[in-house]
Amino acid sequence: MKRLIKTFILLSVIVLGPAILLGQRTLTGNITDAESGEPLIGANILIGGTSSGTITDFDGNYSLEVPEGSSTLVISYTGYSSLEVEITAANVLDVQLSAGELLEEVVVIGYGTVKKEDATGSVQTVNTKNFNKGAITGPQELLSGKIAGVQITNSADPGGGAVIRIRGGSSLSASNDPLIVIDGVPVDNGGVSGSRNPLNVINPNDIETFTVLKDASATAIYGSRASNGVILITTKKGKLGKKISVNYNGNVGFSNPIDNVDVLNADEYRSLINERFAEGHPSKALLGSENTDWQSEIYETGIAQDHNLSLSGGIGVVPYRLSLGFTDKKGILRTDRFERTTAALNLSPGFLENRLQINVNLKGMFTNNTFANQGAIGSAVAFDPTQPVLDASSPYGGFYTWTQANGDPNTLSPANPVALLEMGKNRSDVQRFITNATVDYRFAFLPELRANLNLGYDYSKGEGTNDVPGNASFAYNSATGGGVKNTYSQEKRNELLEFYLNYANVFGSTKIDVMGGYSWQRFFFEDSFFNSDIAGIQVTEGENSGELYLLSLFGRLNVTLMDKVLITATLRRDGTSRFSPDTRWGLFPAAAVAWKMIDGNGTGTLSNLKLRVGYGVTGQQDVGGFYQYLPRYLSGFENARYQFGNEFVTTIRPEGYDANIKWEETTTYNIGLDYGFLDDRITGSIEYYLRETKDLINFVPVPAGTNLTNFINTNVGDLENKGVEFSINAIPVRKTDFVWELGFNVTANENKITRLTATDDPEYLGVLTGGISGGVGNTIQIHSVGHPANSFLVYEQVYAENGLPIEGLYVDRNGDGQITADDQYRLNNPAPDVFFGLTTNVTYKNFDLSLAGRASIGNYVYNNVQSDQAFSDRLFHPTLYLLNVHSDINEIGFETPEYFSDHFIQDGSFLRLDHITLSYTFNEIFKKSGSLRVYGTLQNPILVTNYSGLDPEVFGGIDSNIYPRSRTILFGVNANF
Amino acid sequence: MTSCFNDLDTVPIDEDEITSAKVYEDPNAYRQVLAKLYAGLAVSGQQGPSGQADIAGIDEGFGQYLRAYWYHQELPTDEAVIGWNDQTIKDFHDQDWDANDVFINAYYSRIFYQISLCNEYLRETTDEKLDGRGVDGTLRSDVNVFRAEARFLRALSYYHALDAFGNVPFVTEEDAVGAFFPEQISRADLYNFIEAELKAIESILLPARSNEYGRADQGALWMLLAKLYLNAEVYTGNAAYTEAAEYSEKVIGAGYKLEEEFSHLFMADNDGSEEIIFPINFDGVNTLTFGGTNFIIHAAVGGNMNPADFGIDGGWGGTRTTSALVNKFPSLDANTEVVAPVDGNSANYSLLNIAGAHQGWDPASEATVLASVNNDSNYEGYLYLAEAGEFKFALGGWENNWGTGDGDGVLSKGGDNLSVAEPGLYKINVDTSGLTYTVQKTEWGLIGSSTPGGWDADTDMTYIPDENALSITLELLAGEVKFRANDAWDINYGDTGADAILELGGDNIIIPSDGVYTLKLFLDRPDYTYSIARPSFDSRALFHTDGQELEIADISQFTEGYAVTKFKNVTSTGVAGSDLRYADTDFPMFRLADAYLMYAEAVLRGGSGSIPTAVEYVNLVRNRAYGDGSGNIQQADLSLDFILDERARELAWECHRRTDLIRFNRFSNSDYLWPWKGGVAEGAVTAETRNLFPIPSNDISANPKLKQNPGY
Repeated sequence: MKRLIKTFILLSVIVLGPAILLGQRTLTGNITDAESGEPLIGANILIGGTSSGTITDFDGNYSLEVPEGSSTLVISYTGYSSLEVEITAANVLDVQLSAGELLEEVVVIGYGTVKKEDATGSVQTVNTKNFNKGAITGPQELLSGKIAGVQITNSADPGGGAVIRIRGGSSLSASNDPLIVIDGVPVDNGGVSGSRNPLNVINPNDIETFTVLKDASATAIYGSRASNGVILITTKKGKLGKKISVNYNGNVGFSNPIDNVDVLNADEYRSLINERFAEGHPSKALLGSENTDWQSEIYETGIAQDHNLSLSGGIGVVPYRLSLGFTDKKGILRTDRFERTTAALNLSPGFLENRLQINVNLKGMFTNNTFANQGAIGSAVAFDPTQPVLDASSPYGGFYTWTQANGDPNTLSPANPVALLEMGKNRSDVQRFITNATVDYRFAFLPELRANLNLGYDYSKGEGTNDVPGNASFAYNSATGGGVKNTYSQEKRNELLEFYLNYANVFGSTKIDVMGGYSWQRFFFEDSFFNSDIAGIQVTEGENSGELYLLSLFGRLNVTLMDKVLITATLRRDGTSRFSPDTRWGLFPAAAVAWKMIDGNGTGTLSNLKLRVGYGVTGQQDVGGFYQYLPRYLSGFENARYQFGNEFVTTIRPEGYDANIKWEETTTYNIGLDYGFLDDRITGSIEYYLRETKDLINFVPVPAGTNLTNFINTNVGDLENKGVEFSINAIPVRKTDFVWELGFNVTANENKITRLTATDDPEYLGVLTGGISGGVGNTIQIHSVGHPANSFLVYEQVYAENGLPIEGLYVDRNGDGQITADDQYRLNNPAPDVFFGLTTNVTYKNFDLSLAGRASIGNYVYNNVQSDQAFSDRLFHPTLYLLNVHSDINEIGFETPEYFSDHFIQDGSFLRLDHITLSYTFNEIFKKSGSLRVYGTLQNPILVTNYSGLDPEVFGGIDSNIYPRSRTILFGVNANF
Repeated sequence: MTSCFNDLDTVPIDEDEITSAKVYEDPNAYRQVLAKLYAGLAVSGQQGPSGQADIAGIDEGFGQYLRAYWYHQELPTDEAVIGWNDQTIKDFHDQDWDANDVFINAYYSRIFYQISLCNEYLRETTDEKLDGRGVDGTLRSDVNVFRAEARFLRALSYYHALDAFGNVPFVTEEDAVGAFFPEQISRADLYNFIEAELKAIESILLPARSNEYGRADQGALWMLLAKLYLNAEVYTGNAAYTEAAEYSEKVIGAGYKLEEEFSHLFMADNDGSEEIIFPINFDGVNTLTFGGTNFIIHAAVGGNMNPADFGIDGGWGGTRTTSALVNKFPSLDANTEVVAPVDGNSANYSLLNIAGAHQGWDPASEATVLASVNNDSNYEGYLYLAEAGEFKFALGGWENNWGTGDGDGVLSKGGDNLSVAEPGLYKINVDTSGLTYTVQKTEWGLIGSSTPGGWDADTDMTYIPDENALSITLELLAGEVKFRANDAWDINYGDTGADAILELGGDNIIIPSDGVYTLKLFLDRPDYTYSIARPSFDSRALFHTDGQELEIADISQFTEGYAVTKFKNVTSTGVAGSDLRYADTDFPMFRLADAYLMYAEAVLRGGSGSIPTAVEYVNLVRNRAYGDGSGNIQQADLSLDFILDERARELAWECHRRTDLIRFNRFSNSDYLWPWKGGVAEGAVTAETRNLFPIPSNDISANPKLKQNPGY
């Protein structure tokens, strides 16, 4: 931090340099809002035909030296129509600006903003106006389905995170998560221990806009972290000149499971056992007399409430916004609960006639999680339905338990699902604070030049405990007393310093905007854990810490020629401590050209047409581990010691390393066409992209004997994504009382691995991935050359004439007369071929109806619930317990599991309506001002799919008893006054 | 601002993570890194039982060294099957694995992981480096021995590579860590390397039995050399049986002792055994893994076996054996009978019922009867009365019954009840015509040259009411015995004709060999008969048979195939190990009995040595197994087939079987079939190329210099 402060002082000296004042005559005046009469602070005043001018102060006043012969002033203010006024003889010139239509939509890009119409890259913005409505807990839910090329798979647990993929993943082993930048702070999106979703730090109600940078010409300014796209989140600010405005938003929701896994009920189960096993078979004696629906025992109505209060306005020169939020969400899985309190404060004062603008953000989050044991989900599907939940004679908390002859729990049988939920408490407390301050100074002597300093601090801390009593069957140990008493904690402290200079000027018909800067970021974590049984006999404890530095120099040049042709070039040089001095620096260039073929004022049908072509190189440095290049040794735990004589010696292990590891590089080519019809009532774009990743980090076998491990992360592969995106936003109806808006986007992406090994061995099978339930270590997917990542690797099932699969019979695909691993083939993959997002909004008088949905085509799912539970061998286990089976057993009829049959690779294409929200707004509830909106939402009302499991939307494509998505009814109010 | 760029030069700040430049600043590190070289055989990562894994690409438990070794040495053979559905695991027994097999890859990776670790250790402990760090004095000489142990461990892993994969990549401490393609070494050259390495370190290692428990010494080295030589013909085409015998002899002469009880070698407290030459150490609190003996024990328990008997929390129900191993033992019945009793009751003699309080005064009950062997009026038999009481004789009903008459030994029809004053086994003779009877109390004993008292004093037998038999278990010498009553010859039985029917004063009964025997005498009525059984025949037949089928119809079913109870997490005194979830039991990688059998085999195969000594060594092993000399063999019995079977009996599940079968040419292409060999219930011939595992395709891809083994 010391260094940050020094830099800050240095900067202050620069900006306080004296301004040189010239001129013959001084004009003064006051700029106000035409409607409210409030002063406009920071409005731009330029002398017509020149680049000299000034900015209004916090009272809306300005003072400007005007040379002889100047005839006009051009006054502009973000969100207002610019106005050109004639200079008269008077020395005082007051001007009123009308808000009127938004002339220029400004888009946040990295280290600056650009007018939307001047953007050259693939940049898309979603703001408060078109956010998803309904049951929103995590910020990413606002965005789901809104932007072509962005796929968001939300998890179902309360407060849970999401997997966000922009234009398919560009990596296999390294992270595929986009970089997320919150109010200018690139954040660590790894999350802290005990946290369900790192983005929970932001209350969705505080977000003003999401800007998604998709192609490299837009993202390359973020260099080595930009390969998977960048999401810029901007939070709301106060507005100067506004009186205090108060907003309250509150809602309450009720969630229920939609459906259960179709297993046999108790009667069906009893008759199957009786039919299958001969009289006297031990299974018969095990059958119980109850009728237990285990799934209904573990789920319940999840009640959620969410309250947000925000105050905003301006005090003197200081616009402020303060918000508080509270969320309490219970999951449908009993005992699962998420409680969050958020607070955010934004101050954005301007000084020195607004040449010095300061923006301070404080965001804080406190969450308490109670994690339900999700093992109960699989256990409920598997548990014998003829057994009771409770058994008064059971020493295991009174829960029915499968036992051995000596009365100890059977260690192979599933634990009682309700006991899993009820016996034990798994809790965490998580806090995260993101603080940053930007100081933006426009030099008095050279108003075209501005310096920007951004200091950020991201702190998070998670602490958790997991306690299970010794009498829980699943933590039983007669020798030690059993039970679980675990604690853990993790702290992350990430610091940021960024500084850039920006010069923008107009030379005739050429506009030039140059930016250059420096970035320093440090990531630090330390964590510890203590795992023990209750008596403290079996103890594992450990501490870990690490730090990572990222340093960068970056620059951007924007040139606009004749207001028609826009050229952007960026360059970033990134260094990371993750790699060795020889490989740690990377250069990431990008360039884009846009041609405004038809611009704005175009009359006729086609009102806007812009062609964009971009190229850029980005990197991915998040390859896991902080010191993979460094030879180092690792101490072992106490429970992995080795006995020499009577002493147990703690071991030290030399670690495998790749001295040459470096970033992955993705080269992106993008061509896009933005269009607008009918005075931009219909807008949208169509884009094609090609993304080639080289030096792909793959977790590959090292030549045996050459390293201190057998697999290592190293740069050996190539990967390609290409796709087409299309989006359209239309306002089919636009009348005073009736507006209908429609947004639709579609994305087709194709992913292919083009190289995986250093030697290009054609016999090389690939990297097995996609672990499944059933057996140990079984996998169903593979990364192999010539195929999409995570393709399913299966045998081709042979079917009988009646259409049912024949057990254990597969097609001899290579025709060698035997079925071996060589007969496996690659079939489909979990990523959709095409996915769609649809949003529509209808406003009629005070009613507003909105709905949003998504569809996905060609995403395949391995139905692991079926493959692992629809065979009859599992009914009875020789250690004397019973297991339920999937109802499909009647159809499939397998005796033994056939995990690798392609019968279980199923088309997961789906159409899902995410929400329908209906609201009514009461205006002017307090005499002249204030409004009250009441709304109701039905979340997740419709799912159309042919997939036979519960839900085809499974990230990764392996459906193995995932937390089921619920259907929610939500009621809320939103009050403004 | 440029100073900021130096921030990139970070080093680990975690105390557990040390750069290699700094690790040896602590003198203890030499021993701790050495401990990792050993621990590489025992645990799967730096956190027990899983976490911070050493190798990847495999479930961490599967990738543990011993578990992978066990899979490769046992599952493809007649000694073990596994019922699980883990990946390709069933391919082992079917012998149809391929080069993509993850388990094979794991074993190969483990072997080379060990080799790489040892190489790193050798690089970091060169004289130059030690000088540079100022290491001298005791530490210097300790490190010198540590280095030799590292070379031993490297040779051990190379030996496993040699045995399983043949021609493998070759790396030594000369090769630094980094991206390069190691050369492939031929099997014969690798053999020479291992031999030369072991010879080179022989004098540096500590003398046999003088190192700390768990660490290698000359005994371990000799054992490894003996194994190398014994299999030399397989590895190089040239036999080295003389050397095999020589190094086995060195081990034998080093003072190791056979553990008295065979089963104690595989128990939680086996770390005290003087038979173990080189163990892999495990501990239920300090050395945790899901592989190792923890796997061997857990996986073998299932069905109706009681996990508590094995000191574990619950079985994993996976591994059993085939009938081929079971059938190598003469019989599994604990009471293997030398002489089986004849069913005396089946003889069609006329009977006289004895009714009394002891059987509810039922004149028709045949529970207690006398019999007339000549079908006349003279009846004889023995009656056991648990307490004093009254009785009468009857002919199937009360119409004809006899009680006491006038005077001693006189019977009268319908007379008063007879009685005895005390409990006991009474010999009763009745003449229903002559109306006489005798009731004589008898106490029985065993006498003869085989018994401790010789022909002079008998050894008492005990009456077992439930079996209606007199019984005795004792150690007998080869010789003769007879049964006699009341320490006198008046009533004595022998077996004329050796037909298991006893005759009064009959011929002596032959006891064929020394041993512990159980003899039972069945006297309730004629014909009188007896049994002689060996209570424990071969104590190495450690199987659980209850609820298990001998033959396997479905390998997935745990209850098919006998379970093997050899390894336990219970101490020799019956106490469970320190944690039920993780075993304390050490794995005896090398032990003395193996050295005896190797010597015998090497000599039999033509190595210099003494055949009588070989027989003597084999008999030492068998004597321990039988508890006596009853299992001893003669020189004529010592054949290679016998040795192979004897190795199965002695060393089953100890990771020797695959190597043994290959050395005897019985693994793949021979006519030796066992259940489910080749994936067929009755067993099928498999290709000879199965004698080597394939080089994993992962390494073929990673290293273009490698050539695949033939047949893959």
